[in-house]
Amino acid sequence: MVSGAFVEVPAPVRSREACAAGMTDTVPASPAPWQRVRRIAPPYLYLLPAVVLLIVWTYQPLAQTFVLSTYSWNLVPSTPMVDVGLGNYERLLSSPELGRSVWRTVIVILGMLPFTLVIPVAVALLTRRVRGRAQGVYRALVFAPMLVAPVAGAAVWQWLLDPSAGAVNRVLGTDVNWLNTAGTAQLSIIVITGWHVVGFAVLVVTAGLAGINPDYAAAAQIDGASRSQVTRWITVPLLSPTLAFLVLMTVLLSAQWTFPLIDTLTQGGPVGSTTNLYYLLWEYGFRSHDAGLAAAAGVLFFLGFIVVAALLTRLAERLSHHDD
Amino acid sequence: MRGKGAVAVVSRIQLQGLTRRFGAVTAVDDIGLDVADGEFLVLLGPSGCGKSTLLRMIAGLLPPSEGRLWLDDTDITHLPPQRRDVAMVFQSYALYPHLSVARNIGFPLRTRKRPRAEIKAKVAEVAATLGLTDLLDRKPRELSGGQRQRVALGRALVRDPGAFLMDEPLSNLDAKLRAGTRAEIAELHRRLRATTVYVTHDQVEAMTMATRIALLNEGRLEQLGTPSEVYDAPASVFAATFLGSPSMNVVDATVRAVDGALVAEAEGLRLSLGIDADIPDRPVRLGVRPEHLTLTSSGGQGIRAIVTAVENLGSEEVAHCDTGVSVRGPRPLGVVPGEAVTLSARPGHLHLFDHDSGRRLAWQAASVPQPV
Ligand SMILES: Nc1ncnc2c1ncn2[C@@H]1O[C@H](COP(=O)(O)OP(=O)(O)O)[C@@H](O)[C@H]1O
Ligand SMILES: [Mg+2]
Repeated sequence: MVSGAFVEVPAPVRSREACAAGMTDTVPASPAPWQRVRRIAPPYLYLLPAVVLLIVWTYQPLAQTFVLSTYSWNLVPSTPMVDVGLGNYERLLSSPELGRSVWRTVIVILGMLPFTLVIPVAVALLTRRVRGRAQGVYRALVFAPMLVAPVAGAAVWQWLLDPSAGAVNRVLGTDVNWLNTAGTAQLSIIVITGWHVVGFAVLVVTAGLAGINPDYAAAAQIDGASRSQVTRWITVPLLSPTLAFLVLMTVLLSAQWTFPLIDTLTQGGPVGSTTNLYYLLWEYGFRSHDAGLAAAAGVLFFLGFIVVAALLTRLAERLSHHDD
Repeated sequence: MRGKGAVAVVSRIQLQGLTRRFGAVTAVDDIGLDVADGEFLVLLGPSGCGKSTLLRMIAGLLPPSEGRLWLDDTDITHLPPQRRDVAMVFQSYALYPHLSVARNIGFPLRTRKRPRAEIKAKVAEVAATLGLTDLLDRKPRELSGGQRQRVALGRALVRDPGAFLMDEPLSNLDAKLRAGTRAEIAELHRRLRATTVYVTHDQVEAMTMATRIALLNEGRLEQLGTPSEVYDAPASVFAATFLGSPSMNVVDATVRAVDGALVAEAEGLRLSLGIDADIPDRPVRLGVRPEHLTLTSSGGQGIRAIVTAVENLGSEEVAHCDTGVSVRGPRPLGVVPGEAVTLSARPGHLHLFDHDSGRRLAWQAASVPQPV
C-alpha cells in the first residue's frame, strides 16, 4: 500500500507580498522635489490666466465695494473719503425707498415669468414638429428681438406707445399714456423686457426638449398615453431642470434686463413707480453721487441674491433626474 | 396575466410588404411575416440591418413607407401606438426617471384610468412575480442594470397586452445575468403563451428562445424558420455564416461527376456529395460547419490543410488552418500548429450554395426528390 497526503495548491503570489519579501532594494527612490513640482505644476499654470482675470475683474472690485460701503464719498476724486462704519447700511435699511423697490422688483420678476416660462414652454411644445428649413426660419424669427440692442428697441417702443400717434393705442382703440401713468409704466417695462427675452427662453426650452431621450415619449405612447398625457406626465416633468434654470435666470436677472429700458423710457418714474432695486442702486450712485450708500446697497443685493440663488439651485438639483 | 381564467386573447401579427425608407436608405425592404398567436418570433440580424426599424413599425412608432400590418383581423397600419394592443421593452429600458418603480410599472394602467386600488394590486402582483417587491419605492437611477431590466419587463407585463415587442432587452446586461434573464423570459413566455416579437443580434438568444427565427440582412428577410431549420439548412451563405461559432467554412468549389458519383472539388479539396448522378461541371460555394469536420489520417479523401493555430475553449478546441478552414471538436484535438492534416465530412453535412446568388442549392433527382 502506498501512503500519501493531499497538499493544498498554493495561491498565486501577490505582488505586494513579493515586494515585501526581498524586493525592497529594487523600489525606485522617490524623485527629487523639483521633479515633483514640474509634474504637478502644468495644470495650475494653464488655469493661471483665467484666475488672474477673475481676480482683477471680479473679486477685486467686489472687495473694493465692501470697503467702499463703509465710507461716505461723493465720487469726486479730490474730496476725501470719510469712514462711517455701518452708517451707510443703517441709512439704507431705514429708508422707505428700499422696501418699495424690493416690492417692485418682485412684481417685475413675477411679471417676467409668463415670458420666460409659460410662453416659451407653450411655443416650444407647439413648434416641436416644425422641421427642416422652416425650423431655421422660425427660430430666427423668435430669436430676433434678442439681437436688437435694448436702447434701440426702447426707442421703437417709445414711438409705438406714444399717447397721441402710437400704434398701440390705435390698435387697442385706447388713449392711454402708457409710459407716464403710474399704473401702466411698470406693465409696459415688463412687456417690452419680455418681448426681448422670450426668444432666448424659447431656445433654452427647445434645447431642453431636444435633450430628452425620445424613447420616454415613445414608451409612454405604447403604454397607452395620449399626446396630452405624454406632455403632462413625461415631457414637462423631464423638462423641470430646464424650467428651474429659467426660473433662476428670471429671479436673478429680470431687474437687470429692465435697466436699459427704464433708463431710456421712464427714468424710474413716474413718481418712482418703475424704480426697482437696480435702478435704485444706480440712482444712489450716479444721481445722488452717494457712492458709499450705493456700494452698501450693492453689497446687500449681492448677499440677498446669493441666498436666493442657493435656494433655487438646491431646488433645481432636487428636480433633476440624472437621466442615464 | 393571461391564463388566470381570463378569456384568452388571440393575437396574430401579420406583416405584408412592410417597407421603410429614410431618404435614400431603405432600412426595411418589403418584409412579409405571419406571426402566429403564442409564437416567440426572433428578428435576428447584424447591427444596422433594420430590426429596430421593423419593430418600431409594428409598435406604431414609425409609419411604414409601404405595406400593411394586421393584429388579428384589424388593419393597424395607421393606428397610433396607444391604440395598438402591444407592449414594448426598449433596449434602453426607457424607465421614466422621475417616477418610482411602482409608478413605472403602474403607468400603463394609469393611462387607462383604472382605479387606484386595482393598479396597486396589479403592480404588487407583477412585482412579486419578478422579485421587485422590495424595490417598489426606488427611482430607476437607484437600480442595477438587471433590476431596471425587470422593471421594464414588469411595465410590459402589467397590462395583458395582445403582443410583446422586445428590442435587444438583454444587450445591456453582463454575460451571466444575460443567461439567467434569457431563461426567465423564455419561461415567462411558456407560462403566458403571449405572442412575442423579440429583436436581437445575438445568435445564442435566437437559437435558445425562438419558436421561429426571421433572419434579416440589409433590410431584407434572408430566411424564416425554426432554429433547427435555420441552423441545419441555411438558406444562403449569409445565413450559413451568421449562425454558428466559429462560423461555417465556405469555400469556392466545383461540383463534377466522377465515375457516376458527384464530388465537390477545389485546390487541395475533394469531398463526396453522396449523390449518384452525372451532371456537367458546376461552380458552387461549398459550406461545412467546423464541428462537422473530422481529422483523418492524411492521404485519404478530404480537405488537405496545415494547422496555423489552436484555440482552447475549455471543453472543446478549435484548430484554424491555412486555407481559412477551421475545425471544432472535443479537447484535445491532438494537432499542433504547423501540422499537415486531412479533414473529412459526411455528405449530409455539406451545404451547397449557388456561386453567384449565394442561395442554397438542393439536389432534386429526376424522379425522386432528395435533398443534399
Ligand atoms: N431615424 C432614422 N433616420 C435615418 N436613418 C435611420 C433612422 N433609423 C434607422 N436608420 C437607418 O436604418 C438602418 C437600420 O437601422 P436599425 O433598424 O436601427 O438597425 P438595427 O436595429 O438592426 O441595428 C440603419 O442603416 C440606420 O442607419
Ligand atoms: Mg437596433
